[in-house]
Amino acid sequence: MISLLDIVGPVMVGPSSSHTAGACRLARVARALLEEEPVEARFELHSAFAKTMRGHGTDRALVAGTLGFEVDDARIKDALDLARERGLAFQLKPKNMGPEAHPNSVAIHLRGATRAISILGASTGGGMIEIREVDGFPVALSAKDPCLLLFYEDRPGVVMRASEIIGRRGINIASMEVLRRGKGEQAFMRIDLDARLPADDVDALKAMPGIHRVHVLDRVAGGAPIT
Amino acid sequence: MPQLESFADLLAVAEESGKPLDAIFLEQESAERDLSAERVFETFLDRWAIMKDSVRRGLAGGKSFSGLVGGDAKKVIEFTRDGDIAGGRLIARAIAYSIAVLEENSRMGIIVAAPTAGAAGMVPGTLLAISEERGLSDVETTRGLVVAGGFGALVAAKAELSGAAGGCQAEQGVGASMAAGALAFLLGGTPAMSVHAAALTLQNTLGLACDPVAGLVEVPCVVRNGFTAMLALAGAQTALAGVESVIPMDEVVEAMVKIGEAMPRSLKETADGGLAMTPTGCRIRNQLYSIR
Repeated sequence: MISLLDIVGPVMVGPSSSHTAGACRLARVARALLEEEPVEARFELHSAFAKTMRGHGTDRALVAGTLGFEVDDARIKDALDLARERGLAFQLKPKNMGPEAHPNSVAIHLRGATRAISILGASTGGGMIEIREVDGFPVALSAKDPCLLLFYEDRPGVVMRASEIIGRRGINIASMEVLRRGKGEQAFMRIDLDARLPADDVDALKAMPGIHRVHVLDRVAGGAPIT
Repeated sequence: MPQLESFADLLAVAEESGKPLDAIFLEQESAERDLSAERVFETFLDRWAIMKDSVRRGLAGGKSFSGLVGGDAKKVIEFTRDGDIAGGRLIARAIAYSIAVLEENSRMGIIVAAPTAGAAGMVPGTLLAISEERGLSDVETTRGLVVAGGFGALVAAKAELSGAAGGCQAEQGVGASMAAGALAFLLGGTPAMSVHAAALTLQNTLGLACDPVAGLVEVPCVVRNGFTAMLALAGAQTALAGVESVIPMDEVVEAMVKIGEAMPRSLKETADGGLAMTPTGCRIRNQLYSIR
């Protein structure tokens, strides 16, 4: 069942939960995946997202999320000016992603000093979001619960070693997904966790042979309050 | 307790356990989020405080960025103070408070989505009006807010709550339906009456288009929150009187999803049809975007 606090919520800056709050959260996920300060942001907006972009403050919300603002941050209103002050170059343009794409879809491309990341996501109503692609890998990610994303070279034993590191900490894996571009090529793993993985264990994952990068997403898009 | 997946499940659990609806929903949320029921309730109390504050800020007035809306909530409440209104004080307050939240939303103020921002008015608007009328405490009113959230979550299990996916019925229809269920609960109705209130309200918004002028959450959204608040009051009133929805709530939700799928994209938050494409709607859009 969907959380009651997602229905009576989020607490947010108006005017649209899907086109303002959801847009902000999608960009927050991209920022979290970049893991450094973005210097350039490109947004491609599909259908309803593109049509009502200015009216719903979607442009300000996407830029605000890229700057790391939360959905209830009053500065969302001034995000475009703040981005210019902070040296973030941004560009927004419409893109037809075809009839199958969710009407509230956006592709976000961020670049920092040393890295770049691309995601494709959709705002699915009431401020809830779904990430559908990370760097071209198809995923299904709400970014509400703690989650790990691993990019690595396809080889035997990686899944076992990763689950061992998580398991010895006593943390339960809620679900996981393993994909690869081809045999022996780049592979991708998504691991949803019931609790946050300590930094030491994340470092241990990063040190595994064949690992390219490990991302930690910890309730970037809201989620239940912490006691 | 088994996982709730439908309103039928909810009524079965209520029947069997004899627990009030808010207790059932709190228990469910608590188990699923690994939080104490008290902690969940405290969060709801915090959200209720923000909701009341958004009504207060909205009533203080001020125009939206576009200048299209703002100040209507104040007009409605001041007219009421003068003493003369068709339908009485409760109705006038529910309309004014619901519009107030949306006016605050249109100024990029802080609001609580319920279930969305464009439909954030009727849950706080009707609950605040009834709590003032009946002298309910914040704790009592917040129990109703929990029920509203639970009803919304059960709808969201089957339907996406966005104008882009389902038209306005999926936003304001669902918001009004959540409010109706909560009102019936707060006024002492049985669990079945609450669900009938929600079903009667939702079925009377089916087919409602999302056709915002110039793509803004302003016209018709802001005033419509006041009007759908009326539907919530009507839903609670009729259900408490014993009127039942012939079509069960779960099936009304399914009908809403199918109608949403059948609606053309032009009526689903693209500002390409309906009121948005009237001569006046087009003129407003052209004026707004040429100024920028």
